[in-house]
Amino acid sequence: MIRKTCDVVIVGSGFAGLSAADILAERGLRVLLLDENLHLGGQLLRSPPWSGKRSSAGGIMGYGFRLIGRIKSQPIEVLNRTNVLDIDERGMLLVEREERMISVASKMLLLATGARERFMPFKGWTLPGVISTGAAQILMKSYGVLPSKRMLIAGIGPLLLAVAGEFLKNGGRLLSVLDMGGAREKFLLLTRGIQQFSKVTEGIVESAQVFLARVPYHLRTMVVEARGGPGLSAVVAAKIGKDGSLLKGTEMIYRTDSLALGHGFVPNIELAQLAGCAIDHDGGKGGWVVRVGEDLQTSEDRVFAAGEITGIGGALKSMDEGRLAAFGILNKLGREVDPKRLIHLKRQRNRHLRFGILFNNLHRMPDQAFLSIPGEVTICRCEDVKMADVTRAVKDGYDTPAALKRALRIGMGNCQGRICAPLVYDILSALKKTTAKEFPPFSVRSPVKPVAIRSFLS
Amino acid sequence: MTQDLRIPSISRGPKIKVFVNGQGLVAYHGETVLAALIAAGRRVLRKSRIDGENRGPLCGMGVCYECLVSVNGSPNRRACMTDVEDHMEIGIDDSEDM
Amino acid sequence: MIVIGGGVIGASVAYYLSKKKIGVLLLERSDFASGTSGACDGMIFMQSKKPGLHLALALKSRRIFEDLPEKLGSDIELRRNGGMIIFRSDLELKAMAPFMEEQKRGNLGVSLLDLHQARELEPCLGPNIAAATFCPLDAQVNPLCLTYAFLKAAKRHGAKLFARTPVTGFHVKGNRIYAVVTPQNVVATRSVVNAAGVFASQVGDLLSLTIPVAPRRGQLLVTEVLPPILTRCLLSARYIAAKYDPALAEGQNPGFSIEQTGNGNFLLGSTREFVGFDKRTTRDAIRTILMEVTPILPRLKEAHLIRTFAGLRPYTPDGLPILGKVSTPEGFIMAAGHEGDGIALSPITGQLIAELIADGKTSISLEPFSLERFIPKEPS
Repeated sequence: MIRKTCDVVIVGSGFAGLSAADILAERGLRVLLLDENLHLGGQLLRSPPWSGKRSSAGGIMGYGFRLIGRIKSQPIEVLNRTNVLDIDERGMLLVEREERMISVASKMLLLATGARERFMPFKGWTLPGVISTGAAQILMKSYGVLPSKRMLIAGIGPLLLAVAGEFLKNGGRLLSVLDMGGAREKFLLLTRGIQQFSKVTEGIVESAQVFLARVPYHLRTMVVEARGGPGLSAVVAAKIGKDGSLLKGTEMIYRTDSLALGHGFVPNIELAQLAGCAIDHDGGKGGWVVRVGEDLQTSEDRVFAAGEITGIGGALKSMDEGRLAAFGILNKLGREVDPKRLIHLKRQRNRHLRFGILFNNLHRMPDQAFLSIPGEVTICRCEDVKMADVTRAVKDGYDTPAALKRALRIGMGNCQGRICAPLVYDILSALKKTTAKEFPPFSVRSPVKPVAIRSFLS
Repeated sequence: MTQDLRIPSISRGPKIKVFVNGQGLVAYHGETVLAALIAAGRRVLRKSRIDGENRGPLCGMGVCYECLVSVNGSPNRRACMTDVEDHMEIGIDDSEDM
Repeated sequence: MIVIGGGVIGASVAYYLSKKKIGVLLLERSDFASGTSGACDGMIFMQSKKPGLHLALALKSRRIFEDLPEKLGSDIELRRNGGMIIFRSDLELKAMAPFMEEQKRGNLGVSLLDLHQARELEPCLGPNIAAATFCPLDAQVNPLCLTYAFLKAAKRHGAKLFARTPVTGFHVKGNRIYAVVTPQNVVATRSVVNAAGVFASQVGDLLSLTIPVAPRRGQLLVTEVLPPILTRCLLSARYIAAKYDPALAEGQNPGFSIEQTGNGNFLLGSTREFVGFDKRTTRDAIRTILMEVTPILPRLKEAHLIRTFAGLRPYTPDGLPILGKVSTPEGFIMAAGHEGDGIALSPITGQLIAELIADGKTSISLEPFSLERFIPKEPS
């Protein structure tokens, strides 16, 4: 076991983690930055390992890449490919890296663990060839590989257009973009999001790319079925009404071996749960989120949280929260912080948060959509649990996430419920006609992610 | 199966060779196992445990555990979180009998 | 009849009572099987039971398991492949010799195997074990499926089951219970079965009854699903010794248990710790268990750990459950304190309690299991 000590450990090197690390290191604190991925930058700041970082890129992405450059020149210890397994009651981290254990002691802990994608399942969504919009983006941006020559994009949320733009730019043939959202949502975002100028312009640039390539863009349309064997060969889509119900007779069939799918994001709160941080359910923030104060401190004394885990809100929010958390930590350690800068940052962060809530609320899936998932559709992909199993178990009285887990093994597989948990909460609340707030989420125990047994033995 | 979905305009690291179920496959240093497999059009990676359904990658970021392959004989490794190495032996289950 | 507790014991009691056409109301404070029964392994071990009363009870229970899946009408993932006790050294073998002698007299059919024979039975065993014993009667089951199967069958026979319904008090008149209080209701009843497991003593407190059941934490590790490589459950000799001698349990190595479940995951255990109701798992325990089990089953070194959890087992000072009527108040019946044997002893417990209530007498005397055994005897 390797032992490390430092002033601040930051888990996650996306916009939030990077922004915090930058400030803390500049103020002379010993910072340890941990990330599970192979490279710094989280899910957004991706570039091929062979080329230089895209520091010439414009806007927030360019800023982010320059931030990575700065972090590398600072005396910050960076550990990639780490798997944080456990946080104990004293705030000590147990970390696995390349099958060795590292124990980390620090004065302060900042969790910036980001978000993962959310999915609305349909018949055949487990077929190989159905990948997430995030996966498509990673393949293209980090490794310069197209998921396929022809692709269909479906779901809801900002990633659809981003992936479309990237795919077209690299010479892919995009069949169509199927957006569950409607024109009303787009209009509202455009008008109310005017203060969020950079975000909206990004959206406009991407939409323009799609339209210029004359790709059909369908609103209020969702995938009903994916067909094929062994891999995907066709996708059936249909129009939906305002309440999320399917409109008969509007079916369209696409021949494709690749479908990129995404329905928004879920905060990665598991490490925070393990650290004992209080969590809240807020649909406008993307589901269960870590509760933080204005200074981004959690309910735990020496634990801060920043970025998507406090509420889905995008890169700008994450960046400002990373900065605020850094100042919160400095303050807590008795260092001076410029109050004017704080006021400005807080105001800015609240603006991003509000936009995020508006955005998330406009992109929420109606209950009806969950209730109309056919019985044969897989909900828990690890344990092959179907929708019919869930509805039957709920009827039999196993009507909490924990009871469903015990009754069906749902969420007991390798992914530990990361993919199915948000779905289970939404299905449960739709079936029980209440909000997901009523159901405590799956409990979390070390190891937060599967770990090679060998790593414990060295 | 000879297709290459790599974007030609991107310069890459040194060319290496890996083996997928014993069959040679070109890859580039710096790629993940998943990127190398997808680039070659290999998307069926395993069978689901209970129903034996075909599965391939979903999240691409280490969350879903759908892209589990064996690497040099060691089973259940996430293809999306593992770098390729020269002469790496990758085992996938893309058999069509169910 | 009111049964308090929706774990495997309460579920079994409710099943056997309702089968005897007795109206049952089962009250569970949280979710069904959310306590010990939802956080344990599924071993039905005969070899681990103390020869004598304990073993006799276990053997009777084991016989009931034979056709239990058919009777309950559910798959409980019962596997009758036998089990092995693993001895790491000749010293352990020597220490356990008297225990094994007594087992022999109990006609358990235990055979002693050397390393070679043990590996013939289980080729995945590592080379550094001294010996093993094999008993064909040892078996395993899915504890969650078993609990739910009892509950489902009880429901079919007319039992009424209520989750999230804690018992908050009793109404006693003279020396007799006549009602049970819940936050929603006061329910009239003639008798109450306390099958509240680790919470049995809290239920006792409501009647000013001292019930010496304490939570003893057992941590368990779960691996990813592996191809079937182990057909029998394994227990270390030290793990058994530790059960009957707490001094051994608190030491560095409490021994181990290894089981590959029907699903294919390995369940690796365990600890025996007194830490109150703390259900967290600890780094030290995880490491200790892995250090213990990997030499026994080297293949596990290649596997991934996917989850850990801890269950609280209802410990009693003499390792035997508390079963039967208490002297006072009347109408209060105990069925708790099975520690790690709850799964194995659940059928016989349910059956005996049902006999006691329906027929007024039991096929095995419950006297040695009475609560009164813990009351210090006045010198006469």
